[in-house]
Amino acid sequence: MATITINQQTYEVPDGITVLQAARQLGIFIPTLCDHPHLTPYGGCRLCMVEIEGFRTLQAACTIPVSNNMVIHTENEKIKKAREFALSLIFSERNHFCPYCQVSGGDCELQNAAYRVGMTHWPLQPNWQPFPVDASHPYIILEHNRCILCRRCIRACNELVGVNTLGVANRGARTFVIADFGVPLGESTCVSCGMCVQVCPTGAMIDRKSAYQGKKSEAEHVETICTGCSLGCGLDVLITDNRILSIYGNWDAPVNQGVLCKVGRYYPLDDDRPRITQPLVRKNGELQPTTWEEALSVAASALKRHSANSLTLASARLTAEALYLFRKVFAEGLHSPLVTTLNGHAMRPLTETLHDLGEPFEGRVTDLNDATSILIVQADLASNHEVLGFMVRRSLNRGVRIVIADSRENPLAALAEVSLVFKEGRQLAVVEGLMAAVARLGLSQTEYTEDAIANLANAAKTTGLATDDFLKAAYQITRGEKPVIIYDPAAINDVVAIKALVRLAKMTGATLISPKGEANSLVAAQFNLIEPMRPGTYEVAFVALGDEIPSETLVAALERTPFLIVQASRESKLTARADVVLPVYTWAEESGHYLNLEGRLQEAHPCLTAPGQAKSNEVALRKLAEALEVSAEGDWRTVLTQRVAPVTIAV
Amino acid sequence: MSKPKVATDWLAGCAGCHMSFLDIDERIVDLVDLVDLRSSPITDLKEPDPSGVDVGILEGGINNTANEEVAHRMRKRCKILVALGDCAVFGGVPAMRNFFKIEDVLRRAYIETESTDAEGKIPDDPELAKPTRVRAVSEVVPVDVYIPGCPPSAEIIYYALSELAQGRIPVLKDERLQWH
Repeated sequence: MATITINQQTYEVPDGITVLQAARQLGIFIPTLCDHPHLTPYGGCRLCMVEIEGFRTLQAACTIPVSNNMVIHTENEKIKKAREFALSLIFSERNHFCPYCQVSGGDCELQNAAYRVGMTHWPLQPNWQPFPVDASHPYIILEHNRCILCRRCIRACNELVGVNTLGVANRGARTFVIADFGVPLGESTCVSCGMCVQVCPTGAMIDRKSAYQGKKSEAEHVETICTGCSLGCGLDVLITDNRILSIYGNWDAPVNQGVLCKVGRYYPLDDDRPRITQPLVRKNGELQPTTWEEALSVAASALKRHSANSLTLASARLTAEALYLFRKVFAEGLHSPLVTTLNGHAMRPLTETLHDLGEPFEGRVTDLNDATSILIVQADLASNHEVLGFMVRRSLNRGVRIVIADSRENPLAALAEVSLVFKEGRQLAVVEGLMAAVARLGLSQTEYTEDAIANLANAAKTTGLATDDFLKAAYQITRGEKPVIIYDPAAINDVVAIKALVRLAKMTGATLISPKGEANSLVAAQFNLIEPMRPGTYEVAFVALGDEIPSETLVAALERTPFLIVQASRESKLTARADVVLPVYTWAEESGHYLNLEGRLQEAHPCLTAPGQAKSNEVALRKLAEALEVSAEGDWRTVLTQRVAPVTIAV
Repeated sequence: MSKPKVATDWLAGCAGCHMSFLDIDERIVDLVDLVDLRSSPITDLKEPDPSGVDVGILEGGINNTANEEVAHRMRKRCKILVALGDCAVFGGVPAMRNFFKIEDVLRRAYIETESTDAEGKIPDDPELAKPTRVRAVSEVVPVDVYIPGCPPSAEIIYYALSELAQGRIPVLKDERLQWH
């Protein structure tokens, strides 16, 4: 601990923190602009200047560490003048006329800072250098004229996302934020995660979908969970007039700590499929609005009549509560021959591995934060579970070595120290080769009695790789204390290979992490809703689609089903061809639970009020149970936890 | 003590600040009790008394030689000069044109606009004021009181005027300090 004096008061603060961090902990306000609590200090804006006794000049509180017996003043005439001067310089650099800026009036940290010092005018007028506006990106407009060069966007792009698209060109007054080597943002390596917009203090980074739609500072905030994939990132949803203004990453969420990808941040705002607001029943060949009672009774009589020939499907993005009822109604109540989730079979390799091993074998996502090396096996972290990919990317800043083993071109291959591109279908041989290589290096933490040299040679031959590749990979994986292995069980699709990976993890002391597919795929697996679609002649099909877009495969598979019941939020090819449509909530209206890929049970909270007669998926299924006269009683939590899972479930 | 004399005028602005001034509604009666409103675009008298006024208020930035003249005259004839609104204080919306060359701006306005019929013509009568870069009032003459806002609300204007009427310099801070 260090003893410091701030404004004549003496405090004890931890060693190694900055003066700004100390002041914040003590509740003493110091104005800042370039500083962001989740980014490394930069010391660029000079707004946080404080006087420290014994120092010749004022010091930036954000970068200077506390030391014992430091005497600090955060407010006096000299400091006030310095801060005002810093602000005048910032205002003079570019176009900071407030009346035509979309963040004016509460959302602009620069304007707020000026108000705080009582700035009624600019002592220096702008220099009128026009800067371009980059509107090439589908979600983000880069308005250079509003930029104060605080570099928060650049730091977020590097430190939080690890993508490093943003940087600066030139020096002094010509300094300029650029994408890659000066290409338009829309043509750059940008992954559209929008973290730059989330941290921008001014109107320089404009979110197309929410600009001029309302003040963020006046919006209502709801903390909920993204249902885009099984990572379950925490969202901070900003709402005005029952409309989503924008979606931010929740800085306090344990899974993503503020970071989001485009699926969580922008896709929901892009969704303009028409809503279904009332129950529909097909009469005389046309879908006609009706009451819930009639729709349910028509659906129930068809389901009862053909229960032995029924096909029932649910989206794995429904809440645990809804999936439980779905199983209860159709598997236990109606004894439907096929009760499963869409793409549920993707969970089978993992579930079968678990069946053989009998105990949890995967770890926590947070282990990535202090991983010493990362092995990625057949996992594409750019097309889904992108935030997991960001965690991998940003670990490069800590010097973490990445090894990739993939039969396809892996999107993160360019970042890998060693990339093992192996022959299609040779997953097992690759893992066996890695095990043999770890043993060959004498670094296995568990017993390895096989002939490592022979196994290594074998693996090389089978996979089309060199033994040296395996040894290099094994060396990088075992270099530190805490390796992490990220693998995609569905892509590996080989129980023996997955079991070999579990053994490799034991040999190297690694944590295993795997994407599970949809937001509640793990729940679907726990509820045994992972049967593959079987072709057959079904008389009736029920699809609890939620707000999902039905795949072409699904639409084709159900094309000839004589009677189709769809429970959905939005119009689609499937609802167009349905005989009964039950209107339900979207993710933003639902409340309920999600179990993420590491077994963390999280609760989604409703952000919006649903239109018309839409009901929650859970209530719709409960009503259907009543109409079918089957039981909907039971506790989903008990069923969820009574079976062992590949991860430790934290309820 | 006689009532302080107040004169106002508008330059390169939109008249919105004067509209906001009128928005003080019935309190204008209280204000007239406190001040002697002399020349103003909203009164019959158009030029401040040559003998001088106590408070001169200018709305708008300075974008041509005529505005320069009005600003200099007001400064000469008033004791306290008030810059009212974002255009007078910062340059405001008209100052957007400073990011372009004046020739380009004139060509856009008088020739290229969609509503211009035939070939258009940039006004060049020697009687007309010459356009310049748009400046805040303080770039041309010294300003004593700044009231930013686009426009400043009637509340803020009333506060500032009643302070001035009572011989105090208004201090704008907290919710009275608004640039938008």
